[in-house]
Amino acid sequence: MSSLTENEIRRIAEMAVRQLEGHATPANVEKVVKSALNRLDGGAPKTERMKRVPGGTHAGGRIIITAFGANSIGILAGLTSELAALRCDIVDLSQKIMQEFFTIMILVDSQASEFPFETIKQRMVEKGESFNLKVIVQHEDIFKTMHRV
Amino acid sequence: MHIELPEILETIRMTEVEHFDIRTVTMGINLKDCISDSLPRLKENIYEKLMRTASEHVATAEKVEAQYGISIANKRISVTPIALVGDGYYAEDFVEIACVLDKAADNLGVDYLGGFSALVQKGFSKGDLGLIRAIPEALTQTKHVCSSVNVATTKAGINMDAVYLMGQIIKETAERSADDDGIGCAKLVVFANAPEDNPFIAGAFHGVSEPDVVINVGISGPGVILRAVRESYQTDFPTLADNIRRMAFKITRAGEFVGKTVARLQNIPYGIVDISLAPTPMPGDSIADILKAMGLEDVGAPGTTAALALLNDAVKRGGLMASSHVGGMSGAFIPVSEDQGMIDAARTGHITLEKMEAMTSVCSVGIDMVAVPGDTSVEAISGLIADECAIGVANSKTTAVRVIPVPGKTIGEEADYGGLLGVAPIMPLSTLNNAHFIHRGGRIPAPVKGINN
Repeated sequence: MSSLTENEIRRIAEMAVRQLEGHATPANVEKVVKSALNRLDGGAPKTERMKRVPGGTHAGGRIIITAFGANSIGILAGLTSELAALRCDIVDLSQKIMQEFFTIMILVDSQASEFPFETIKQRMVEKGESFNLKVIVQHEDIFKTMHRV
Repeated sequence: MHIELPEILETIRMTEVEHFDIRTVTMGINLKDCISDSLPRLKENIYEKLMRTASEHVATAEKVEAQYGISIANKRISVTPIALVGDGYYAEDFVEIACVLDKAADNLGVDYLGGFSALVQKGFSKGDLGLIRAIPEALTQTKHVCSSVNVATTKAGINMDAVYLMGQIIKETAERSADDDGIGCAKLVVFANAPEDNPFIAGAFHGVSEPDVVINVGISGPGVILRAVRESYQTDFPTLADNIRRMAFKITRAGEFVGKTVARLQNIPYGIVDISLAPTPMPGDSIADILKAMGLEDVGAPGTTAALALLNDAVKRGGLMASSHVGGMSGAFIPVSEDQGMIDAARTGHITLEKMEAMTSVCSVGIDMVAVPGDTSVEAISGLIADECAIGVANSKTTAVRVIPVPGKTIGEEADYGGLLGVAPIMPLSTLNNAHFIHRGGRIPAPVKGINN
């Protein structure tokens, strides 16, 4: 049992008081509390205290970075060097320039990166802003889910 | 598996341009284990369980939003119908319980908490009556708490005593919030065949047969479906239905994925995805616009009901293929004040309550977010509820009434609730006398089709 709520402690104490009725020696108390704990654990499924959400998780592999905006010199170099600094491996890259409009999709593997997803996302968005690009960073799974049966 | 650039661009277009989002990720929480014969203890148990169970709900949903780039518009909680948890208590006690729920919702940072509810299709327990009588005061004193009362099922028939009582409660709730155009009624819904795993507010509650905690998801996406319909302008019906179905598949998959991820990160079971198309007052995010794009001048035109039936069925086909666990309402919502196309049609008189009633026989929910004159009689509101219940009971489907008799206002005026609740033009409801019918009392027997064993 990881942690007890006040309610649970109160219930254990009440059980112990009922069972001991004046025969409270340290050994007896320990025995009763142990059995009460077992009963709580084995009883009806209780709501476990929720596992804390991990602060910075690895996205578990592949991330898709999409960027749009007006074309200018050095966009590709800027984005890819930032990815290198983040230790993200570029797996696939597709770029189109339609009139003056620049679109790029970069599939990266972040397995080797020590940076959490949140940092990668934030730094890529900031990098994009320096080129006046809108950058969207998403885990690859959402695309697989939506477009593959 | 390779993802093509057009597929990526389509997803981004859906979220950035067409307002596709996950409307709600709702955590259902069982409160049966909080029952106590001491009111302070009961309140303490409820507060403690909610705070313990849902402490990470909002943070987790926000994390998933960031990771997958799909916005989750609302993070909500539904609880066991409070009439069960507080059975034996009096109306004033239920108001206190509602305040505890509100405090927990506030501290947890959720938008709404549903489940201030009673299931009275066959009759009232003491707790049911206490809760129902507490509704006007509870909805006035709280911000996040939503209430629903199920008054009919296909198996039990229609509890007309409850229908009459809810007419009174709706009037009273509107009058308590007269300064805000009766906004209390926006948090109160009367159901027939209420689903127990509905993630949408105001009707969400955590059914008695549900697990201790569960995550249910509601998708949204009229904008995306609207594009599919517009792109099918020159096609025949089978192709139109097919294109809607394909799009519904994609948005349901996204919804299910987000729900499963939020559930997994919190180490709790995932329940269902509700594939209802839920509109917002944002331009382009309207069910009415989809029906118009099919070739109607406006909603209310002859053919509107058929168009809605086609839409609803095509969405279901796509959704059922996309997810094994489809539940909740799973139909199209047509809340008048929350859908810009419906608002416009109500303003011009193109859509009437009678046509809406017909539409509810082929989609989910029913007469939803409809404002009627403040001087509408209790019996007229009860009659409207009874009619919707009859449609639901006879067709073994969910129907509901969320109607607002706006105090001091009448036809030609509007009630502006702001935000997602939108603007409700006051719609005319027949003033013919139905008092003798409503006052009869008792239960309308279950239809023959309810006896199907």
